[in-house]
Amino acid sequence: MAISTSREGQTLIVKTEDRIDGANAREFQVDLEAAIDPNDRGLVLDLEQLSYVSSAGLRVILLTAKTLRKQNAKLAVCSLSDSVREVFEISGFDKIIPVHDNQAEAAAALAD
Amino acid sequence: MTQRACKILVVDDEPDLQPLMRQRMRRYVRRGLYTFVFAQNGVEALEMLQEQQDIDLVLSDINMPKMDGLTLLQQIPKVDPDIRSVIISAYGDMKNIRTAMNRGAFDFVTKPIDFDDLKVTIDRTLRNLTEWREALASRDKLVALQNELDVASKMQQSILPTELPGTDEYKVAASMQPARAIGGDFFDFVHLDGGRIGIAVADVSDKGVPAALFMMSSRTLLKGAAIGGTGPGEVLYEVNNLLEEENESAMFVTVLYAEYNPATGELSYANGGHNSPVVFHEDGSSTVLPLTDGVALGLMPGLDYRQETVKLSPSDTLVLYTDGVTEAMNTDFEEFGLERLRSMFVESMPGDAEAINTAIFKAVADFAGDAPQSDDITCLTLRRITTDA
Repeated sequence: MAISTSREGQTLIVKTEDRIDGANAREFQVDLEAAIDPNDRGLVLDLEQLSYVSSAGLRVILLTAKTLRKQNAKLAVCSLSDSVREVFEISGFDKIIPVHDNQAEAAAALAD
Repeated sequence: MTQRACKILVVDDEPDLQPLMRQRMRRYVRRGLYTFVFAQNGVEALEMLQEQQDIDLVLSDINMPKMDGLTLLQQIPKVDPDIRSVIISAYGDMKNIRTAMNRGAFDFVTKPIDFDDLKVTIDRTLRNLTEWREALASRDKLVALQNELDVASKMQQSILPTELPGTDEYKVAASMQPARAIGGDFFDFVHLDGGRIGIAVADVSDKGVPAALFMMSSRTLLKGAAIGGTGPGEVLYEVNNLLEEENESAMFVTVLYAEYNPATGELSYANGGHNSPVVFHEDGSSTVLPLTDGVALGLMPGLDYRQETVKLSPSDTLVLYTDGVTEAMNTDFEEFGLERLRSMFVESMPGDAEAINTAIFKAVADFAGDAPQSDDITCLTLRRITTDA
């Protein structure tokens, strides 16, 4: 689940890969929190390379959204694989976290 | 470690040693690091060890009347296995030193005693003793914690219904198999008016103790809402709002709640972010009940939960499950998957709910093989028995 980060202006872009499940969700949370700068206004979570996310992983994404909200920043996810998209749809997460087709769209939406 | 002075028992038949020890160690005694007590031989030493149970370390000569130091070494663990012993031997007396070490001495010093070296030896021994005691305390704590987890696990299992509803018209079977001692899945049912029943299967995000606590409150709120509720959508709406109120940790629970009317076969359900139930038909086909676009509970207040109604035909079997079933993995990292579940009863289906439910657990276990179970597995089966009136 290693993460890699880049920045476009005040938008942090985080890519992650492989799986996020109960075994590494905590690590994912710590890595994400460490990557966020207090000046970030938005975070795009690019999940193109992520093949699986469990409910523990969803929880971390939600906690991150809450953390960001406190610094007046927003979270969006993009480029979901079919299996991750299915998890988002079944759990209803796609209704509370904005889902976009690609990074550019997600970044544009956050910049609005 | 304890702040009290370490109590050292010095065992030697030479009367000179006592004043010498007191004199050379007086700084440390004054600082409250050590206190000394003295014995003339092994027998006296053992008596003192029995009387004074706060002795931490025995510093003993080897050659003494009545009971020598090597015999004393064998006796000390019978009084207290944690006491550390340091032997004072003649210089170069390797044979006795080896015997002493083999009998459990922690270290040795040689005569004439170098008191600086003795101080180092005593401190090293005491440090070892402290670490040993801390390790024992940690182990005790761990054992206590493990016991508490076992109790929690039993409590959790005990709130799951053991007697499930059933009449001549329908039967319900259900089971939950936790991945760890404490799980986050549960199932439940309630009797409603007019012979109807409410059934639920739920999955709390994450596992372990926090998930278990959240599961307990979810289950209680769900039960309360179901009894007083006016339909599945309303029930989930209420539980969601209550759960969200004090949910700083962003826990959530996915719930499939359904109300079944045995007289008509009508099943109303609302889905809060949960896997879609499957209905198996008598001809081997199956239907996945459509999602109702509900969000997992506990995340956001005020969300609406739509409910759907379907009709179970006679011999139709409804299966509610958690993702522990569909996401069970084998050693090749393949998932059991919804399609494998749906294809289970294409050829033939057991005639009763219990057998169907058991067959699903067995299929998942067979599929997973030696792969470790990573998630709780829950499955609830409701089978309609009678024909239409």
